[in-house]
Amino acid sequence: MSVLVQDNPAASPPTPDPDQGEEIQGRSLSAIAWGRFRRDKVGMFSLGVLILLLLSALLAGPITSLMGVDPYTLNPEALDKANGGIPLGCGVPDASFFCGISREHPFGVEPGTGRDLFARVLYGMRISIFIALSATLVTTLLGTVFGIVAGYLGGRWDTVISRLMDIILAFPFLLIILALSGVFTQRLVAIGVPEGNPARITYLVLVLSLFGWPYLARIVRGQVLSVREREFVEASIAMGAGTRRILFKEMLPNLWAPIMIYATLTLPTYIATEAVLSFLGVGVLPPTPTFGAILADSVTYMSIIPSYLLIPGVILAILVVTFNLVGDSVRDALDPRASRQ
Amino acid sequence: MGKAKPGVKFAVVAAAGALLLAACGGGSSDNGDSGNGDSGATKGGTITYLQLEEQFTNLDPQRVYTGEDLAFFNGTIFRTLTAYKFSADAAEGTTIVPDMATDLGTPNADSTEWQFTLRDGITWETGDPVTCEDVKYGVSRTFATDVITNGPTYAISMLDIPSEEDGSSSYKGPYTGVGQEAFDQAVTCSEDNKTITFKLSRPVPDFNYTVTLLSFAAVPKAADTGEKYDDKPVANGPYKIQEYTKGKGGKFILVRNDAWSQDSDPYRKAYPDQWSVDFGIDPTVIDQRLIAGAAADQATLSNALQPQSLPIVFNDPKFENRRINEFDPYVRYFAVNVQKVPNLKHRQAIAAAMNRDALLTNAGGAFAGDLADGVIKPNIGQDYAPTGLWEGLLGQTIPATGDPEYAKQLIADSGEPMPTITFDYPNTPTNEKAASIVVASLQAAGITAKPNPIEAGQYYGVVFDPEKAHEVINAGWGPDWPNASTVIPELFTPSGGFNLSQADDKDFNANVDAAKIESDRAAQATQWQELNKYAMEQVFAIPTRFGRDQRLPGEKLGNAYLWPAYGAWPYGDMYVTQ
Repeated sequence: MSVLVQDNPAASPPTPDPDQGEEIQGRSLSAIAWGRFRRDKVGMFSLGVLILLLLSALLAGPITSLMGVDPYTLNPEALDKANGGIPLGCGVPDASFFCGISREHPFGVEPGTGRDLFARVLYGMRISIFIALSATLVTTLLGTVFGIVAGYLGGRWDTVISRLMDIILAFPFLLIILALSGVFTQRLVAIGVPEGNPARITYLVLVLSLFGWPYLARIVRGQVLSVREREFVEASIAMGAGTRRILFKEMLPNLWAPIMIYATLTLPTYIATEAVLSFLGVGVLPPTPTFGAILADSVTYMSIIPSYLLIPGVILAILVVTFNLVGDSVRDALDPRASRQ
Repeated sequence: MGKAKPGVKFAVVAAAGALLLAACGGGSSDNGDSGNGDSGATKGGTITYLQLEEQFTNLDPQRVYTGEDLAFFNGTIFRTLTAYKFSADAAEGTTIVPDMATDLGTPNADSTEWQFTLRDGITWETGDPVTCEDVKYGVSRTFATDVITNGPTYAISMLDIPSEEDGSSSYKGPYTGVGQEAFDQAVTCSEDNKTITFKLSRPVPDFNYTVTLLSFAAVPKAADTGEKYDDKPVANGPYKIQEYTKGKGGKFILVRNDAWSQDSDPYRKAYPDQWSVDFGIDPTVIDQRLIAGAAADQATLSNALQPQSLPIVFNDPKFENRRINEFDPYVRYFAVNVQKVPNLKHRQAIAAAMNRDALLTNAGGAFAGDLADGVIKPNIGQDYAPTGLWEGLLGQTIPATGDPEYAKQLIADSGEPMPTITFDYPNTPTNEKAASIVVASLQAAGITAKPNPIEAGQYYGVVFDPEKAHEVINAGWGPDWPNASTVIPELFTPSGGFNLSQADDKDFNANVDAAKIESDRAAQATQWQELNKYAMEQVFAIPTRFGRDQRLPGEKLGNAYLWPAYGAWPYGDMYVTQ
């Protein structure tokens, strides 16, 4: 993102040369932002934790096979059949808080099946992040395009898109997702998306994006309304530049900061929403693990296997919180005027 | 089981070391006795019943069909011609005693005609006498299938009323009156309005068990409000409805029915003064209240404990005297859709591959019950015999953990490609884990398998639709009375009400029809045993477990045992110790 705001369009060639910008200012906008970000201790720490979590999710396969566990193998030997099929050592009068946890199974095992929870949490994290990341990308794309179009073209376009956003925001989002899941996934299968998890993940990504873009579009639209009146835009118009060029070459570079900020803050909410949806049963199919499915099962055992709820719950919380903190820091770095004093 | 006279006066039952010493307060002779069954039993107090549901599924007697509700309403507000004896003993608790009738009914020579005579002094809560016409009217309501939904339909299939071409009865119920004459001929009342006669279309040697169902209970015609009767039915038992509010925080309160007299009802003891059902309580909260046993909850009961409460209740000696861990009436099984898996070897391969041991552990290990070998459960009595399903019926012995190699061999022998297997199940966390086990079991045998979660509330609606049901369907079934005539025909014949297997085997159907009308009960039992075995050999279903039920009654509840007739509390027999 080395494209600079062109305050003096008359002096600029038709295609802005990034190198020229660097010569003038010495450092690019992203370099400045990165400099500010590096000085933010909370941001850097969160980024470290986040990278660790992302890496372990990404490398879930190698890590678990190195540890000799996998998320699907049943381990009946770790369960106490006479005591309701819960992990050995749990649910007895003097049970320890960490019952079920052993060297082979650092996070314990799932009651009923004995599947390794460490592996299930890592794999679950991978799916959750994949869904949240995809949904964020689609949301950002939709929100940016609709926001720019509404803000720049104004008039009838603005009215139509703004009302559309109002309507979507007024929808009871969770209810619609639950109600439509069956019909909609079947439609997806009918148009060629493979049945089962691909269709369900596509559905989740689509509905999350469909109900998420208006928030970003409103921000972008507001930003566009102010940028559109600036001199360099007027100059481009005067020079006869086409609408598409003005929108995406002149204005978009000025919108990157709010878009980036919004995206980094949306991602963690999508991770949490995905967990809620899996919890409610419209998520990924078993035996594929997800945060939501693990949490839905674990609440039942809260009183006798506390670690079963706590470990995945705390990891989910850390994931969401670090994403949020990194998002905050990115905002501070990109947009110092809005930063907290 | 039949009509053997129960001869034990005070049966002391200690089942599995976990039961209260329960003296059985039921009738000791065919005419019943007149009370004081138990030394500690006294009148008075309120029993509180905590319900996680927000209302009863149905309250209209002709529409009630779940075991717990049948037991509750039959013990408190609705009387039937005959009823199950109150006893914790598996054999004794499933025998019948007269209730509204003076005896257990009189059949004709070939059991195609049954007569019951009503006792004197039975009245509605209004004070009007309960007549034969009321019973007849109640039975007629089942035929109005557009209004009276959900209930058992034995009246339609058993009474001697001609059928239409589409299989429905030519009598359309009392609301339209179409075909009323045919019904009036099939069910008749004597001159004195005391004796009711049922003419049946086939011999039913245990019809007096059929009439224990509330669908054969009386309803006063003048008070019938059709569909709305479900909210405010008229009582003729020892209690009447004082309040019924649905929803979270709703209540169903029963108070004494002054018009009821103990003289006319030797069956019910009516110990507590009041029953209070609290609706919409979180199951975790219910368990916590029962475990904590605070003063206000000592005369409180509810249904099955949640799985997470079981280790707490069963590892703590302080619950030793009141916790209950008994077999319930249900067999859990996977129906195998024979229309979608027509090749027998393929069905056998599915059965052979299944890791039943893991499924049992997942359902709760020892608390969930025992591995099953058929759809008839041992606690039904004489109709059960081991089928040998896992000891060679499939060609060789199959271990509880499944035999994927043998399953592969069966598929190879079948000479046809194995179809993809989709597993239908109601979407709950435990079932999700079960689905994982099913999928993994089948995949180990090289079968492509897919889970298909269905929203729990809509589950049976979906899988009963042959268009929507898949190859393997999660299900459970308990007999309506202790005769496998309420199991085998229901599950595996086209005329059955629960034929998820879509089974339609000509020879099998003929043998089922023959067994239904067999009047020698012992011979009939042998026939059911053979049919159960045949159904397993054909893999119409894969039985997974004979289920158990765990409960924890409040400390002050007397006669709090699991009543084998319904796998429910013996509501008409319970009391509060003062």
